[in-house]
Amino acid sequence: MGTVTIPRAVLAVDAGFATTAIAILGRPAGRWRLLGSLAGPSPVDPDDLAAILVGRIAAADPELAEAVGLRADAIEDLPRLETRSERPQTLAVLGASRRAVGLVEAVAARTPWRVNAASPETHDPREMTELALRADVSAVLLGASEPPGPDERSALDDLAALVAAVAIRRPEMTVILAGPVASRAAWIDGIGDALGDRADRIIEAPPLRLRAGPDEALREILEGLLPRSADTRHTAVRTALTLADVLGRRVELLEIGLEGGLRAVASPGVADQGPAVVAVRTARAGLIAPDPEQGSVEAVLAWTTGSLDRHRMGDRLRDLRAQPWADASGDGARLRLAATRAALAQLVALTPELSAMPSPDLTIAAGGAFALAPGPAIALAIADVVRRMGATQIAVDHARLLGPLGTIEDPDERRPFVMDLADDLLAPLGTVIIVGGMPALKRRTAPFGEIELTGDGAPTKHELLPGDLAFLDLPAGDRALATLEFRDAIRVGRRAKRLSVPVSGGSAGVLVDLRDVPLRLPERRDRRRAALVAWGELVWPADAR
Amino acid sequence: MRDRGATTATVDAPATLDGLALIVRRPLVAGPIDAFFPLRPGDRALVEMGQAVVRGGPLAERLREPRTAVVAGPPPEAAIGPGDTWVPSAQHRGRGGVPEPGGELLFRVGGRWRVATADAMEPLDAPFPGIVREVRDGIGIRLRSPAKGVLGKEVLAGPTSGRLEIATGPDGELRAPQVDVSAAGAILVAGARIDAEALTRARAVGVRGVIVAALGVKERRDFLASERRGRAGVHGVHPFGILVLDGAARRPIASPVMAILEALEGRTVAIVGDPPCLVLDDPDLELPLPAADLVRVRSGPLAGAEGTWVGLAGPRHFPAGVSLEAGFVRFGDRPPIAVPLGDLERFA
Repeated sequence: MGTVTIPRAVLAVDAGFATTAIAILGRPAGRWRLLGSLAGPSPVDPDDLAAILVGRIAAADPELAEAVGLRADAIEDLPRLETRSERPQTLAVLGASRRAVGLVEAVAARTPWRVNAASPETHDPREMTELALRADVSAVLLGASEPPGPDERSALDDLAALVAAVAIRRPEMTVILAGPVASRAAWIDGIGDALGDRADRIIEAPPLRLRAGPDEALREILEGLLPRSADTRHTAVRTALTLADVLGRRVELLEIGLEGGLRAVASPGVADQGPAVVAVRTARAGLIAPDPEQGSVEAVLAWTTGSLDRHRMGDRLRDLRAQPWADASGDGARLRLAATRAALAQLVALTPELSAMPSPDLTIAAGGAFALAPGPAIALAIADVVRRMGATQIAVDHARLLGPLGTIEDPDERRPFVMDLADDLLAPLGTVIIVGGMPALKRRTAPFGEIELTGDGAPTKHELLPGDLAFLDLPAGDRALATLEFRDAIRVGRRAKRLSVPVSGGSAGVLVDLRDVPLRLPERRDRRRAALVAWGELVWPADAR
Repeated sequence: MRDRGATTATVDAPATLDGLALIVRRPLVAGPIDAFFPLRPGDRALVEMGQAVVRGGPLAERLREPRTAVVAGPPPEAAIGPGDTWVPSAQHRGRGGVPEPGGELLFRVGGRWRVATADAMEPLDAPFPGIVREVRDGIGIRLRSPAKGVLGKEVLAGPTSGRLEIATGPDGELRAPQVDVSAAGAILVAGARIDAEALTRARAVGVRGVIVAALGVKERRDFLASERRGRAGVHGVHPFGILVLDGAARRPIASPVMAILEALEGRTVAIVGDPPCLVLDDPDLELPLPAADLVRVRSGPLAGAEGTWVGLAGPRHFPAGVSLEAGFVRFGDRPPIAVPLGDLERFA
């Protein structure tokens, strides 16, 4: 039996649409450590990035580089954990009524497919045929209720025949029939014997439900149609699962990239049950919609404090989509984070079942959208959008390792990597405590309660006002006990006047958020801006306000 | 700011490990060109796979103001089906003895066909000579040319062809009064930006296309609305296309691109949308290429500035408290300054 040689260094590559990030993992003393990371605008060659990073590591600590065998001229010899963001494929979604197509579109939107929807109420048959035949469309999904609703009956046969004709004209296309379509005469007559030995490209799926219900079956079918790949959003879920198990904590992963987003909640294994994860990957939560004027401008404007009008915002977002790696400092950084908030809000709206879960112990922000912003601004952006009452530690996947580590398919092989790297792969931002159930008070300037941090140093106290947003310093690595006392009962998971929660520090410290749950921004734009400016002043350096 | 010192030296020199390789490389010229012309249901291809077409030769007929019609269509035993064109015979009458329109068969249900039809067609002509590589009814035609193409960011409307004329400098802005009938049949290089009024006037006087560094959202929306109105009109509109080289926010045309456009002035060129580029006919044409160390600032406060690459500056702090990998760039004779790598581009 041969011996297994464990490498001393590994190159991790996460190739996104906007940036490519690499990290070098080393095993200098029998334990994996993150030696360094570097990112560059895509499509930069990871080897070029690695050569520069290896040079820096060797210059900073030649003995370490020697110990793990790092040499700038031997980058190609490094074992790799490589993942990349896959461009979303397009799915044409058809339904016999606006209601029906809305139901099926809502399911398809919770998958990595980019969805183009149409019904006879919005498109005529020629337009629907055009939509389904477009060169960028990879699959067609026709959804119907069982039995078809009154609003569907008149047009369902037309749609069945239309999709059959499209299937004949695009023999490479996959067709998903959700509901009682394949048994209809219009489909049988339309498709005839055109399928031949390719009947497997017609997939039958469960019918639509009149009310919201579990959509896993259809989602699994849709996700199963996508080519098996090392897509970052796919592999990062595996790492989150292992991380939850290794840390013994509930972990939420929020990832926003240029072409989509991911939200996953992973729980550690209990007794003889293994760890579990619930994840939603969606193309709808990309940083900027492919057509910003249609999908992003209003949503981003709602989170901006500048004086851009709709047209100028459209210009900025078009340029940001075309060059997502550029303009990352100054005003561009704030615009990018406003777009990230809009995308995150979309992700949260698509995942109500995850929002309904209790606050996780650890929330991880990942993806290029979060990679460059200051820590406090990231913490605030998440607190602005994910309005879940309770306390959660927030961290950033700063070296973008979650995706590459997930390419280790065997959980037992992945576990030692994650266990060794648990301290390195996340940069702690601090703890966010969101307090809800605040009573309506007339005087918002009078203290309503106070928070006291008790840790290794002297206790810190801070008075809390209704609607307050307070940052308390707590350096990375420090832990403390936060004790909150209020005049009246509030809600943090349960109703109480006094509660104590353990908190940990980071670049953002401890953020106590007493704003509305869910957050209600003023309708009037000037007041909304004033509120955003006031909150922004807490997290952005003075030069960026 | 660096002079537009274009040279004919190749830029394929290997990027050294001083960090130049980390800068996004913007391809200037591509070739051969495989241009795709999308077709919609009802459009009729007039070419076949492998067929050679000349510039201006018909590729397809497109429906103007297309609609769906419900007709009796061909009998069930007829050997035509979805995607085929059905032309009713002179004796054919539909319900009530009314003549039925022909068109592309979409699907048959309840014994009746849905067809894509229109009252008028408009031609889609080849903007450059080439060989037809793919024909898919209702989807598109692919035309290959050994020629080169100057790559842009996107194309609105088109395809089109005409002689190239430079109407203004790389950082100029073409105004409506500057556009007159002498430019009819031309593709104008319009500098950094063009407004909607100038676009409308250009189209009205017979200009065939515009090349511009940036086109704002408002101008884009106005132009596309004007295009829709024109196509819906009785006489239709002549081919016209806009090649956007950079994006939406105003910035000058990059000097290496401008040098190529100046070298092409007076020649017949074409604008196609997929890939978005300006197609030249002559594959052997020597085009000026920039020096390998030329870099351009794409965004940020220095957007549009060009300089020479000096080397990596390492991680640096920039406004808004962000730390970014940066590189030193020398602008003119001034000392090098650090610019975020993401804000830079080089050319190939």
